[in-house]
Amino acid sequence: MSDTVIDTHWGAKLRLQAMIITGMVLFAFITMHLLNLSLGLHSVQLMEDWRFALSGIWSSFFPLKVLLQASLVVHFIIALYSLYRRNTLRVPAYDMAQMIAGVLIIPLMGIHVFGVMAVKELGLEPTYFLVLSQFWIVSPVNGLQQVALLVVAWIHGAIGVYSWLRARDGSARVMKFFYPFVVMLPILAMLGFVEGGRQIISVDEGGLGMVMENDPNVDGPTVDPEMIPVILAKAKNRPKLATRVSLGLVMMVLLARFIRLKLRERSHVRVSYGGRRPMTFESETGLTLLEMAHENSIPHANVCRGRGRCGTCRVRVLKGGEKLAPPSELEAKVLARWNAEPNERLACQLMPQEGVLDVERVVKADYSNLDYAQANKSTKSPVGAS
Amino acid sequence: MNMILRSLIITLLLSWFTLPAMAQIMPSGGGEETVVVPDPSPNDVKEFLRLLGDPSVQEWIKDSVTEDGEIDTAPVLTLREQIDQRLAQIAERAQSLAVAWNVLPRMPMVMSDVWDSELSHPQKVRSLTYLITFLLIGLGLEWLYRQFMQYPLLRVEQSPKDAPMEKLTGAVMRAAIIFAGLGIFAVGSIGAFKSFTWHPLVEALVMDFLVMVLLFRIIMTVSLFFQAPHAPELRLVPYGSPVARHLHWIVRVLAFAVVLGLSLSFILNRIAFMREMEMGGSLTAVALAQTVGLALMVVVVAWGCIWMAFRRVPQLCEDDTELRDLRFWRNYLMILVGVVFATWLVGLFGIMWAILVIGLIVPSLKLMAAWIDHFFDQSTSALHDAHQVEAQAVLDEFVAAEAEGEVLEGEPQPVTPEFADPYATTRPIVQRAARFVLLMSAVFALAMAWGINIFDLSSDRSVVGRVLEVLVDSIVALLLADLVWTWAKTVIDKRVADYEPPVDGQAPGPEARMFTLLPLLRTILMVSLLIMVSLSVLSAAGVNIAPILAGAGIMGIAIGFGTQSLVRDIVAGIFFLIDDAFRLGEYIEVGDLMGTVESISVRSMRIRHHRGKVHTVPYGELKSLTNHSRDWVIMKLEFRVPFDTDLQLVKKLIKKVGAELKANEHYGPSILSTLKSQGVRRMEEFNMVVGVKFMTKPGEQWLVRRDAYQKVRDIFDANGIRMAERNVKVAIEGGGADLTEEQRQAVAGAAQEASQGPEGPPKAIPDEP
Repeated sequence: MSDTVIDTHWGAKLRLQAMIITGMVLFAFITMHLLNLSLGLHSVQLMEDWRFALSGIWSSFFPLKVLLQASLVVHFIIALYSLYRRNTLRVPAYDMAQMIAGVLIIPLMGIHVFGVMAVKELGLEPTYFLVLSQFWIVSPVNGLQQVALLVVAWIHGAIGVYSWLRARDGSARVMKFFYPFVVMLPILAMLGFVEGGRQIISVDEGGLGMVMENDPNVDGPTVDPEMIPVILAKAKNRPKLATRVSLGLVMMVLLARFIRLKLRERSHVRVSYGGRRPMTFESETGLTLLEMAHENSIPHANVCRGRGRCGTCRVRVLKGGEKLAPPSELEAKVLARWNAEPNERLACQLMPQEGVLDVERVVKADYSNLDYAQANKSTKSPVGAS
Repeated sequence: MNMILRSLIITLLLSWFTLPAMAQIMPSGGGEETVVVPDPSPNDVKEFLRLLGDPSVQEWIKDSVTEDGEIDTAPVLTLREQIDQRLAQIAERAQSLAVAWNVLPRMPMVMSDVWDSELSHPQKVRSLTYLITFLLIGLGLEWLYRQFMQYPLLRVEQSPKDAPMEKLTGAVMRAAIIFAGLGIFAVGSIGAFKSFTWHPLVEALVMDFLVMVLLFRIIMTVSLFFQAPHAPELRLVPYGSPVARHLHWIVRVLAFAVVLGLSLSFILNRIAFMREMEMGGSLTAVALAQTVGLALMVVVVAWGCIWMAFRRVPQLCEDDTELRDLRFWRNYLMILVGVVFATWLVGLFGIMWAILVIGLIVPSLKLMAAWIDHFFDQSTSALHDAHQVEAQAVLDEFVAAEAEGEVLEGEPQPVTPEFADPYATTRPIVQRAARFVLLMSAVFALAMAWGINIFDLSSDRSVVGRVLEVLVDSIVALLLADLVWTWAKTVIDKRVADYEPPVDGQAPGPEARMFTLLPLLRTILMVSLLIMVSLSVLSAAGVNIAPILAGAGIMGIAIGFGTQSLVRDIVAGIFFLIDDAFRLGEYIEVGDLMGTVESISVRSMRIRHHRGKVHTVPYGELKSLTNHSRDWVIMKLEFRVPFDTDLQLVKKLIKKVGAELKANEHYGPSILSTLKSQGVRRMEEFNMVVGVKFMTKPGEQWLVRRDAYQKVRDIFDANGIRMAERNVKVAIEGGGADLTEEQRQAVAGAAQEASQGPEGPPKAIPDEP
């Protein structure tokens, strides 16, 4: 067991680094794109004026274009591998949200990405007037889809950046700025999208009916008229294909994971949590202690949500410590940072083995240092609790 | 426990049911909805002006005005006419229901037709987009707020709480935090949406849904406040997590059904209404049909929820309620829901509200009582536990000291005070007060449903108004009197029950006088409350109580004159008792009378002289009163010794006697300050007067004095100090050695006669009782 841990350690580190870097690139792209969108709150013209600087640069400046596309592919593949490695799907709400959002991004994104590509192929400039009228007037269902995409992509990215920030020193200060940013930017972008749409919707339908000054697309498509239906058909088919491929990959990975877990050896461990409200439960081995605690609804502090970075999930092993694998390099480093006693371990890294394990949380589940000793000692359950 | 649970379920379910009922009335009441009243947009105003200009609309307005006028000026209808009118209404309603029933199969078609013609396809989708966008904006802002409140919230939820007050504070704090979040959500979604101008119909649609989402979330937060399905430390209701989760889920289903029904009925009716205005055709039947359909949906969901709750909850908490009871309450609720729906269907809204409110009152009262009991039980048991811990600590300390041999032989174990429930008197009062509030709110709800202004009843001359006025006045009087009476009764009864009669030989404590007074006060209070309540009920019912009052006044004056002294005795007695001037068993002096207080009655007291005479003294006769039995008594004694006595020795001897007295096992403990010499008090012709004094508890001084005299005399005798005796030295000129015996006697007699002054011996100190 310990061999595999050491074997995969380098791989894991590399994977983590790659995940963070590619994620950051994608997040930067989304941020700029949303900034552009939020300008719609003023006027569509302003959006259009800033379009090249904020969005267009990612598709016309070649190195950035390559970086963006490579990041997307690498990020997706590593994410699939992480999903395959997961032992339990009963993960914290944030992780679940990030996972689901990640799965949804590509199916939602297709229309927009391939649509803009098709516009370019038609020899048109993808101006905001064009794109917004596509999303609000021609096909409002796609507009709705864009709102969903915006939210899903932003949630996915924000949770990733959040997890990365949380595990770093001085995160409390950064968080003060990060939280408002993470909420305000998509809100402004959505408002910009809505307001931009309202400006170009015709007066009959309750909008303002604005048109663009010196529109570059006045002359219509410059491409050969025969090609137009072909391009349009391609624009329709490619998103469907992308959706099928991405969802198919996810399904395959889930299936592979299911098989991996089925083949795993099964044994049981009996874990007891000490403290003010002691609890005992029985669980299958193969999960980390933190995952077991989550499965059994035991409150457990874990700031970095099981990534072995923060050290808040430390537990004191009171009994059954002999069978445990020694701490990995990552875990040892975190434990050393906290000046942990020798019998302290990280619950998110600890794989309890068959038998009995008695532990005690070092950090309170609510992170606070309230002096519970002063409170009354008697513990009563409500009447009728069964 | 099972009672609590049952009533909880009942109230939860029924209170949710009131919402759809309200909703169902609103659309048919014709634009009564208060939930969404958007400001008119320019388009609206234009539309309104156009409508005003429309001749058909003008005609319609004229018609409705005359109709209204007729109703206003109509004479008061007889009962027969009223019933006829009501029946006609029912018939009309039935007719429109029949039309609606006919329309029902074609309704989806009609609706989609209307729907399509009012809104273009992009507009519909865009409405959805707006709805989702603004919901997301609200949620995002709320999430941001939650991030900053995360730690306080976590602390509130997870820190262990034992006392119910802590629980309540925690729950209130949590609810406040969550409600503030909801406020932010409302501002972020509804506020942001309202700051743009939209197509009027789109705006109305989106607003309806946004408000309904907000309503749903408010309902869920209230449920969370009480049930806290995931934070057992904050749960205010007396059941475990599985039940709480189940009921929370049921609340969610019901609330969802209600909110969905409400919003759909709003929106569909709005569209139907607009369409009707434009086309001039009649879509009332369609509107009615869909409202009935939605109401039916809500009723079915409510039935399902009741069924589920009564099936699952007893299993979840392994309750041992009798099956028959459970069945009864389940059927009661389902029938209530059905009856309310039926009355609504027939159009008898007033009766529907009456049935609903009255049907709810019984279970709510039960629930309330059980809930308050649960709260007090928890408080008491928390205090009880704390008390147990303290008592155990005292005992442990004693045992530890005993083990180390620090405790004197024979020292008894420390007695720990018995646990006293501090809420014994508050509990019934809170129960009554809660009942009062609940009943009053039921009356208010009823009055509101019937469209009667409860504060303006006196100007309402209708039968219902009169009946309600009498009802409200009587109920208020009764409940208030009940509240006062319960409070007084519990306080008095508790004090009377706590009274312990004094052990023989001990002076009674201060409770003794209250024991005399309290039953009297209770009777007086009961009589006066009864009189006041019956008078106010009579007066509310329209009986003229002035003659009764006048009669009572005259009677009072007559009786007052006749029994002037009796009243004076009683009142004076109450004040003497309040002053604590004397208690049972005390030795007092009133004027020339002295004796022990034997009994205290309402008018007089009886004192027994120590020689057996019994005096009865009415309180009115008492001017001042001397009490010999309070706190302490000082007794002073005097001894006459010859001039040549060694005073130092006297002092020493008396000190010794004092120590002996103090050590006496019978009266020693009663001596507060033992015998001590006060030195020479005065010089007399033939001797010195040495004063001594001591202080004892009242009643013990006589015994101590007796012993003090005896011991002092003995010890003086033993130490050669004589008590001074009167002796006369007769100096006879010329020696007188040759006097005969007879002459000597004559001389002595003469001297004695001469030495006895005109004043007799000093007056004796009052004898002991």
